[in-house]
Amino acid sequence: MELRAYIVRRLLLLIPVLFGISLLIFGITMLFSPIERASLYVSDPKQLRDLASIIQTYGLDQPFWSQYGTWLGQVFQGNLGWSKVVSMPVWNAIWNFLPATLELAIFAAPVIIFSGIFLGTKAAAQKDKPLDHATRVGAIIGWSLPNFWLGLILLMVFYGALSGLLPPGRLSIGMDAVVNSAEFARYTHINTLDAILNWRWDVFLDALRHLILPVITLSVTNVAFIMRLMRSSMLESLGKGYVLTARAKGLDEKTVVNKHARRNALIPVITISGYLFAALAGGAVITETIFNYKGIGWWAWQSASRLDIPSVLGFALFSAVLFVLVNLIVDILYTRVDPRVRLGGGIQ
Amino acid sequence: MEDLVRIRDLSVRFYTYEGVVQAIEHMDLDIRKGETLGIVGETGSGKTMTAMAILRLIPYPGKIESGSIIFTESGLRGEVDLLALSEDRMRSLRGNKMSMVFQEPSAALNPVFTIGDQISEVYLLHRRHELGYRAMQQVEGLLADGKGNPLAGLRRPFWRWQRRLYCKIAQESHPLEPRIVARIPFFNRLLWRLRDEAELLTVNILRDVEIPDPARVAKEYPHELSGGMKQRAVIAMALACSPKLLIADEPTTSLDVTIQAQILELFRRIKVEKGASVLYITHNLGVAAEICDRVAVMYAGRLCEVAGVEEIFSNPLHPYTRALLDAIPKPGKEPQPIPGTLADQFSPPPGCHFHPRCPNAMPICNQEVPELKEVSKDHLVACHLF
Repeated sequence: MELRAYIVRRLLLLIPVLFGISLLIFGITMLFSPIERASLYVSDPKQLRDLASIIQTYGLDQPFWSQYGTWLGQVFQGNLGWSKVVSMPVWNAIWNFLPATLELAIFAAPVIIFSGIFLGTKAAAQKDKPLDHATRVGAIIGWSLPNFWLGLILLMVFYGALSGLLPPGRLSIGMDAVVNSAEFARYTHINTLDAILNWRWDVFLDALRHLILPVITLSVTNVAFIMRLMRSSMLESLGKGYVLTARAKGLDEKTVVNKHARRNALIPVITISGYLFAALAGGAVITETIFNYKGIGWWAWQSASRLDIPSVLGFALFSAVLFVLVNLIVDILYTRVDPRVRLGGGIQ
Repeated sequence: MEDLVRIRDLSVRFYTYEGVVQAIEHMDLDIRKGETLGIVGETGSGKTMTAMAILRLIPYPGKIESGSIIFTESGLRGEVDLLALSEDRMRSLRGNKMSMVFQEPSAALNPVFTIGDQISEVYLLHRRHELGYRAMQQVEGLLADGKGNPLAGLRRPFWRWQRRLYCKIAQESHPLEPRIVARIPFFNRLLWRLRDEAELLTVNILRDVEIPDPARVAKEYPHELSGGMKQRAVIAMALACSPKLLIADEPTTSLDVTIQAQILELFRRIKVEKGASVLYITHNLGVAAEICDRVAVMYAGRLCEVAGVEEIFSNPLHPYTRALLDAIPKPGKEPQPIPGTLADQFSPPPGCHFHPRCPNAMPICNQEVPELKEVSKDHLVACHLF
């Protein structure tokens, strides 16, 4: 199937998916009574007397379908509502917080994916040898460490005990001023990239310094997952006939493992890596909150904890779109890795 | 006739959790130059392990316990003991002087590389000097032709550099500069002529195994070919460097009968044209009769009988060989299945492993292991009857 036709077909599939997700999430918010939802708009206790009129104005007592229809009509006009916690429209909030999260994902995902693939390959090639056992123990520890606990410990050591070596946040206060000044052009709002484009290495290093701890926190837990998957996939691949053929050709062990076995073993890992990237780019909620790293995840946590319904709805829709798009990219990548896969055709 | 491979006292054991398996016990076997030797036996009798031992590719947890495998190389090097060689030397023999064709062609080919890539790999590995020399000549031709051509002047430095790289590849065994260049993206394109030369050889060898339209097939992936074509491609891969010894492990078992006949015909032709010795592993006596010069019969890790193909069919001596021949369905005669089952691999019966199923068993059979004796010229039997 032609690539363009395939992409269009997959994007059309996005419509029912988004419809279902919006219905689900909107339905959950309807579990709150109209009074509860009306009181969320109230900031001054004196206004509590006006709840009835708020319910009237916003139609909160209307039947589900009518409220859902109104909301959907607004969404189609590009109006996702008002995010109370950051005092800006939800749409703007997404665009405002996305670069920070993307920056974190761009730094964390390659670390996780490549080290996972590397360690998994090594562990499989040296099955039941000390390295394999070491990675297994490491994986169990990494996988079972809670994110928030590890994040806090890292902050205590590298920020507390080592007197502010690796601070939380996105930028130091001085650098924040530089970034927000007029002569610093913000092309992408991804600090490290903008710093390079502006040729400001001090900003770049400062941004990098703030990224180290969140990246480590995300890596320790997620590397284990990719690594174990890669190991089992690799072991399966190493038992296949083509590996024996490759050895019988006279190839050295390195080529056999890294070329013949790994290329086949990568196929399931690509799927999971895609989801991992989508999950990271959709906001690493706990990690961003722990490190006060103001990205989508931080915003989602703030909104959820303060019952900011429009923000939560917007966040959910954004995550859904992201997952579907990443899934599409992964499927296209498949055809590059495995010649047997045809777009829209399945495996031969 | 001279021997190509001389296996002496070879023992292979597998150390599994359930116990130790004697896959091969004290085997003595010769493969002569230019002959097709068939190894016949039931599943689990150690046929494939014999082949794997020659290539030194016994899978974990198997181990070659003792013995020697003398391989006679051409040239001045003479005889080498494969079991005493370093892994590096062994690798330079695998796929080069000795190669293997596997039972299941769709499993033996890597699904993510083209047929051409997989065969070229053999040339790039074992024929590097030759490819480097050919590529160098190509570049020299370009340099000579380009004289006086102003357009060629721009590309001249690249050609010079290419010539130097190819010259190093052709002469040195581990050239540093080409290896570094090959690892740098973009710069590694300088070595494309090497790949090109390998591709030419690949198309030639594919044509040799009677694949129609070899240039197209070389660009295809394994799943795009039929079973017979895949097996031909695997055979081409094994033949790429004109090996002295070609090991075929049941190469026709997974194929249709018509394709089977074609592949057997191909093996026969290869043996005559390339002068290679073929070690043909099969459980099918009919196939062995069709293609082999000599046949070795194996039972539970030991050789029972080794003889010329006509001799073994007209005058089988070992009771197991006779039983095998009686088990073949023939017109007008009921096939006689061999009573009992294959010996337990963890604790085989003492003495001759076949004695519990043997119609001629004697008291000595469960006490002493019979030696492989030459009863008549080129006819060896391991049985107390002789």
